Amino acid sequence: MRLRLRRLALACLVASPLAGHAQDVSLHGYVDGRLVAAPGERGWVEGGLGKTRYGGGKVEARFGGAALVGTAQLTPSLLAFAGVQLQDGDRTGVDVLEAYLRWRPVSTTRWRGSVQAGAFFPPVSLENDAVGWTSPWTITPSALNSWVGEELRAIGAEARIERRGENATWELRGALFQRNDPAGNLLAVRGWSLSDLTYGIGSRLREPDAYVRDDGEQPPMRYDPFRRIGHQWGNYAQLTWRARGRGRLSLMHYDNHADPQAWQPNEGGERLYAWRTRFWSLGASTDTGSITWLAQAMDGDTVIEPVPNRVFTTRYRAAYLLAGWNRGAWRPALRLDHFSTRELPGTPGLHAGEHGNAITAALNWRPHDWLRLTFEVLQIDSTRTARADYGLRPHTRATQAQLSARLFY
Amino acid sequence: MRRRLWLAWLLAGCAGPLWAGQLVVRISDSDGHAVGDAVVTVTPASPSAQPVPAPVTRYVDQRDETFIPYVQVVRPGDRVVFRNSDGTRHHVYSFSEAKAFEFLLRPGESSPPTTLDKPGLVAVGCNIHDHMIAYLLITSEQARVTPSQGQVVFDQLPPGSYTVTVWHPQLRPGQAQPSAVAAVGEGTEAQHADFTLSLIPDPRGFSDREHLDY
Repeated sequence: MRLRLRRLALACLVASPLAGHAQDVSLHGYVDGRLVAAPGERGWVEGGLGKTRYGGGKVEARFGGAALVGTAQLTPSLLAFAGVQLQDGDRTGVDVLEAYLRWRPVSTTRWRGSVQAGAFFPPVSLENDAVGWTSPWTITPSALNSWVGEELRAIGAEARIERRGENATWELRGALFQRNDPAGNLLAVRGWSLSDLTYGIGSRLREPDAYVRDDGEQPPMRYDPFRRIGHQWGNYAQLTWRARGRGRLSLMHYDNHADPQAWQPNEGGERLYAWRTRFWSLGASTDTGSITWLAQAMDGDTVIEPVPNRVFTTRYRAAYLLAGWNRGAWRPALRLDHFSTRELPGTPGLHAGEHGNAITAALNWRPHDWLRLTFEVLQIDSTRTARADYGLRPHTRATQAQLSARLFY
Repeated sequence: MRRRLWLAWLLAGCAGPLWAGQLVVRISDSDGHAVGDAVVTVTPASPSAQPVPAPVTRYVDQRDETFIPYVQVVRPGDRVVFRNSDGTRHHVYSFSEAKAFEFLLRPGESSPPTTLDKPGLVAVGCNIHDHMIAYLLITSEQARVTPSQGQVVFDQLPPGSYTVTVWHPQLRPGQAQPSAVAAVGEGTEAQHADFTLSLIPDPRGFSDREHLDY
């Protein structure tokens, strides 16, 4: 950990003269320390089946993460953007959240187009619009966006066209990408979770130890979710409507087009399969007075075919509704989550999968531009049939409380 | 000569309040707070021939990635100059029907004067910093921008009926502009017109250390 902090401090030192001298370079970041009261069950980050980031039942101080985001306006139309982060837990150190070049020439008509190339998040989340892909409303994002932060990244190119109307703006985005072939594995082998541990390029996700043992392997087993397995191009398309004073509505379809029979050697010589992952995502946001409402829903499936004609499908769904109260320095937020998975083909009379709900209450206080204090309580109620295979009760209820101090640069 | 001066004083100064009126317009939001940056336009029911003022040059500065002023009233024929007082480049542009333009401004640079000859609303943005927005309302009518106290005063109005119209960047797009008819009579008593606006959030994007605007 000390080495990682030293690396991040070194990156700050190298970059700060740039921010001072180059006129079109900006550098922002955050560092987060927190006091955590964790639920008893071992968290999934450490190989357990817990649904939260932290587990083990202790109350202790933890390093919550740090990120550094730099931009450089290379020409009036060309922007370079890069974000790196440092996280604790079962991690490899500093990793890259996003890094891309965006070309957006000025337009003096109602139409404006842009193209970006590199590594970037598919534009699913309505929550994570703050520095380092964090949420300004809560510490922990919804189940839906927790998964986006864990397994989804587009490494490719995206084109965007907007029509800026009198009363509303329409925007169409489309992207072609590769290296997101294992995406979906986590929902199948672990199920949903709520965690703010976003994974960057270069990091590894850990499969639940119980699942790995059940598969006849030796834990810990980790994999790179941003790995190319095969040569297929994935794509996504999104249509967004935005109207000032009314809100925003967007519909998106994602398909990584992975070949469910393809695999690559993984740690210990095991096979890392490609998962054909598709979903529809619908998002809406609006303001009523000083309350901001966010709502998102996702419906998709992920398919693997380890043996020809032996197809395993995991259907997944998640949705949330968040209400955030803008009261100046104080910003309370409340969110309700619902999530489910279903394993197919199923056994007659048995519904294999997961269903659960979560409630998150957060109170944010920003007494200064550089400081945010957040107290958050998250309670998750989940029933997952696969737990019975590992000798555990399918139903779990976990409560995680956190008090976070986040310093911004 | 002295008699002529006396007559001129009577017509311009002394006699003025006897036949010209005053209109005080107050703008507040639904919580009762004074609203600044509202444009109040006063249109007489019976237009009279008024001398057209000579065109002037207006300035829109850029400081701390903010256009200053945010809202400005411009008469047709006036010129506007965009001045970059920031240490970063700005790519000032507009795609408005009243006037479309683009200027790439390096630190310390000013754009050439641009003539705004067509009445209408010009929304100005920066293609590099999306949170920067300014508005130029081009009108040949009498119009004023409310300061933060939310009140403007129109002096020396000839007696008659006037339509008072209010525009604000935070009115819901597509919504009819609030308006009222005010009768300005002879005498020194000021007429009042009060408007309560239902405002939507500020269109200028929010950017701070936590929220980046890219």
